[in-house]
Amino acid sequence: MNWSFVIANAITLACIYGTLAIGISLTWSSLGLINMAYGFIFALSGYGAWLASQHIGPYTPVVMMAGILTGVLGGVFVNALAFIPIHDKPNYQLRGLIATLAISLVGNQVLLWSFGPRAKSLPQLFGAGSVNILGVVMTADKIGASISAVVLLTLVLMWMRSSRRGLEIRAMMMNPHAASIVGIGVRQTSFSVMALTGGLAGLASVLLAQTYYVAPFSGITPMVKGLSIALMGGLGSVPGAVIGAVILGTNEAFTSTLLGGQYVLITQFLLIILILLIRPRGIAGILDKAREA
Amino acid sequence: MSRTWIDPLSGFEPEKAPREVATNDYLSPQTTWNETTRFKPKMYKVGRLNFFYKWPGHGGHLWSRTRYWPTRRRVLNIGGTYNQKTMRREKTILDKRPIWWTIAFAAFLLMPFAVPGDLWNTVMTAAAVFGIYAAVNLCWMLIIGTAGIYSLASYAVVGAAAYGATYIAILTGIPWWMLPLAGAAIGLVFGVIIALPAMRLDGFYYALLTLGVVELGRVYVIQSRVFGSATGGLYGAPSYLPDDLSQQDQLLYGYYASLLVMVAALFLYRFVNGKRLGRVLRMAPEKKEAFAEACGVDYRRARVSVFLLSSTAIGAIGGFYASHFGGASPNLFSFDTLLLALAMLVIGGIGRSEGAVAGTAIVVFIDRVLIDWGPLRFVLIGLIMLLVVLFLRDGLFGIKPQFRAWRDKKKSERRATRAEKGGEMLPEEATETENKDEIYYRRFDKMQRDFIKRLVTNEIIEEHRSRPLGQHSEALDRLLIYFRRQGQVDKYAILVTEEFKAYRIVALSGHRGTAPRVVEDKVYLNPNEAYHALFLRRVQDLLET
Amino acid sequence: MTVQSERREVLHVDGLSAGWGPMRVIHDLDLNVYAGERVGLVGLNGHGKSTLFLAIAGLSGWQRGSILLDGHEVGRTRSQGPGRYTHLVVRHGLALMPQGDEIFNGLTVEEHLDSGAFTPRAWKERGERKKRILKIFPPLEALMKTPVGRLSGGERRMVSLGRGLMADASLFLVDEPSLGLAPKIGKSVIAALMAVELGGSAMVIAEQNVGLLEGRVDRMIGMHAGKLKGEASVASPLSSKGLGA
Repeated sequence: MNWSFVIANAITLACIYGTLAIGISLTWSSLGLINMAYGFIFALSGYGAWLASQHIGPYTPVVMMAGILTGVLGGVFVNALAFIPIHDKPNYQLRGLIATLAISLVGNQVLLWSFGPRAKSLPQLFGAGSVNILGVVMTADKIGASISAVVLLTLVLMWMRSSRRGLEIRAMMMNPHAASIVGIGVRQTSFSVMALTGGLAGLASVLLAQTYYVAPFSGITPMVKGLSIALMGGLGSVPGAVIGAVILGTNEAFTSTLLGGQYVLITQFLLIILILLIRPRGIAGILDKAREA
Repeated sequence: MSRTWIDPLSGFEPEKAPREVATNDYLSPQTTWNETTRFKPKMYKVGRLNFFYKWPGHGGHLWSRTRYWPTRRRVLNIGGTYNQKTMRREKTILDKRPIWWTIAFAAFLLMPFAVPGDLWNTVMTAAAVFGIYAAVNLCWMLIIGTAGIYSLASYAVVGAAAYGATYIAILTGIPWWMLPLAGAAIGLVFGVIIALPAMRLDGFYYALLTLGVVELGRVYVIQSRVFGSATGGLYGAPSYLPDDLSQQDQLLYGYYASLLVMVAALFLYRFVNGKRLGRVLRMAPEKKEAFAEACGVDYRRARVSVFLLSSTAIGAIGGFYASHFGGASPNLFSFDTLLLALAMLVIGGIGRSEGAVAGTAIVVFIDRVLIDWGPLRFVLIGLIMLLVVLFLRDGLFGIKPQFRAWRDKKKSERRATRAEKGGEMLPEEATETENKDEIYYRRFDKMQRDFIKRLVTNEIIEEHRSRPLGQHSEALDRLLIYFRRQGQVDKYAILVTEEFKAYRIVALSGHRGTAPRVVEDKVYLNPNEAYHALFLRRVQDLLET
Repeated sequence: MTVQSERREVLHVDGLSAGWGPMRVIHDLDLNVYAGERVGLVGLNGHGKSTLFLAIAGLSGWQRGSILLDGHEVGRTRSQGPGRYTHLVVRHGLALMPQGDEIFNGLTVEEHLDSGAFTPRAWKERGERKKRILKIFPPLEALMKTPVGRLSGGERRMVSLGRGLMADASLFLVDEPSLGLAPKIGKSVIAALMAVELGGSAMVIAEQNVGLLEGRVDRMIGMHAGKLKGEASVASPLSSKGLGA
């Protein structure tokens, strides 16, 4: 039993899953859309990063930027297709969910078509060294992944707190109708939200590429994980998503060490079911009543 | 504009100078009529029954009253009315769905004999799959549409039941007809497990949770050695077909058997959705549960019972699936299966049995018959799904109501853009009015008002102010006659509070026993003043219509 | 009439019809509002006051006819997508204070007032503007950091009105400011609205309770069955339009 390994894994996984979950959570709370095409954006930005590393060069900033930019593009694309046409139509939430599902169905097939079923691997972003912090041995890759995830997430959250556009997004989260009365354009804001969450997916994709590789269907498992974290934290709540990510990351690291990798999903869903049975709106779902689900 | 009018009554008193009053130029009462008839507006078609075939006859015949067991429904819902123009009795088929279902069943039955030979095997395999999937989708539609529980775990239940039944069959060697029973039991157990969180979670939380359950099942089945992680599925369940059949006959019988399963599922759908449980649940749609609860509807219980009933049925279909395919494969748990199944529901339209069947037919056809297309067929399915979701509110079978709602909306908007008719009936209103005299009366009244309005000038008002009673000029007389002719409801009158000292204006109620109401606080000191104030009020009301 | 037409028109509505689905609520309505004016729009429940406001903001179900806001055409023939152009209308200088407040439950009072100052210029001046609002609604001072969801009805109304007043608006539309409030609080809210310095902008207040507005606004317009009925200015309350008095 190597506790340091477990802890290091838990931290890394929590950071990356947290990024995904916050992306999903933000989309839901500000646009009322459960973005099931998130896995597609994830896979797409993996391919974007891979193309960049092939054609421009395997430099860390290039690969990361390429991944994030592709994610942004993917988010904008999904928004233009699944949000803009139906956001003011009846039964929008269910239709939006199904539209994003359809996009992910088509998109994954297109990826399969154009890149083939073989998984691609990205270059190691943060070198191969390892550091010993307080007796915990962390590989450079994990440290890099955690730090970049935490830094970017903090930047995003600070921006959400303080800027005018952040206020715009938060206002739209609370009451879309009132937001338009104040002068916030729902369609414009939706593009910035989806670009932001798409970028987060791209970031997570680049960071997770060492574990999941880049494959046409590689996005589904991370998306299900991100969804379950967002769900557990309470859809629409950023602190809830962070707490959820920490809990699930810890669980995953512990289960894979103690019981074996195949039981991860089982313990994870049992945990989620348990938490949701106690708190039906997730961990933080009770704290803020941002949007009536 | 103005000319003088000499009071003809002045002739009785020749000693005095004749009374002269400034008044309007003569305006023929024919003017508005001429103007109205000169103006030829574009005529729009109105009414919406052009395309309904009207059957002749009285409709009291027994054949329309035949009811079929065990419901008290008629075979065809036929409504009879009297045609207002011809005063003949007419009949309309109000609900044509039974006819379409009959045609569809005939087509299903005859389908094997119409398929070209080189495609026969592919199509018949696909058709059997269609029957089973349609049955599952119908039960799932009960959960999503009727009960309003967004469960995505239906195919996971099918998978669990199929795996369980196969496993039991391999262990104990039970005959094929036990498989659906075993599957039903497993489905019930699974239903109970999945229904537990549904009591507390709502909407999307539950959908995502069940998505997790599906993923859980998939990972478990893929990794479990008992369930054939090595062979890619668990096989060895007994088939319901005799062994000595040729391959063609096997396919044919398999198709009819799965069609039978679909018909059974249709009956289940009809009995749950169309009877008490369905009605109860339709009273408690999502977000209106509190209202239903306040009406005494125990919607939770109804939802859970529908859920358990459907889960049991889905389990039984899972058992049949195992028997049909000889086992189960982990494919049932995959995300793709879920997506395709969801596409089937969505394309047809959620909440309709015909939607489930038609959607399944479309998706299974693309998925299983057009195999040569490769991954392109998923793209096609995805695109259809996307287009349906983006443009249709309720799937393919919702096109008609959606189109009608759109047309009605457009119609009313167009009506709003046309000129205001000033009290005249608009064409749409006119078609729905029983008393057609009313239309012509309103048209006449409008024209008359248009004419009368032109007579109101400062001269006329001045003339009335100087002498409210007595002989008036022609224009003022017309005005006053029009006012006098109005109905009693809300007609202005003068209330004498004290003779020659205090008068007030009231409005008559028009109903015997109901006192007039006071319309203003002002007290007039002499009757002429009051007459004129009343006149001004009427003029103002006239100008405002 | 002649005096008024020399002044700048803030709002010019011409032949506006609006409604929801098959229902037509506003019938061919014309309305002019001039700079520096406070107009009271009175009428019973369901006669189209709110729909008129929503139509000006582009939030009604559908609408036809021209609406000039400060010289910009903001009304267009529109048959769907309520709210799709509202933010553009707001950027032309409209502040709508809707019925039922429409507040953002999770934001604090301060963030709320900030969100009202959404146009770039107002955003820069928002500190100053907040001070001005606090002068009009002093009770808000102590509540600046409280989430709006926890406020009482009267306080919420103040926040909602304050948010509207933060904007760079040339036209303030106030929908039923006294609705659902205790009479005393309703009166104080109206008094606060009367205290707002309009400058070059104008304010239209819709009310059911004529008594609250009587004698306090420059003009009163009645609304009946989707049309304007009778107009009385404070100077000569009973002189009527059609009779050229």
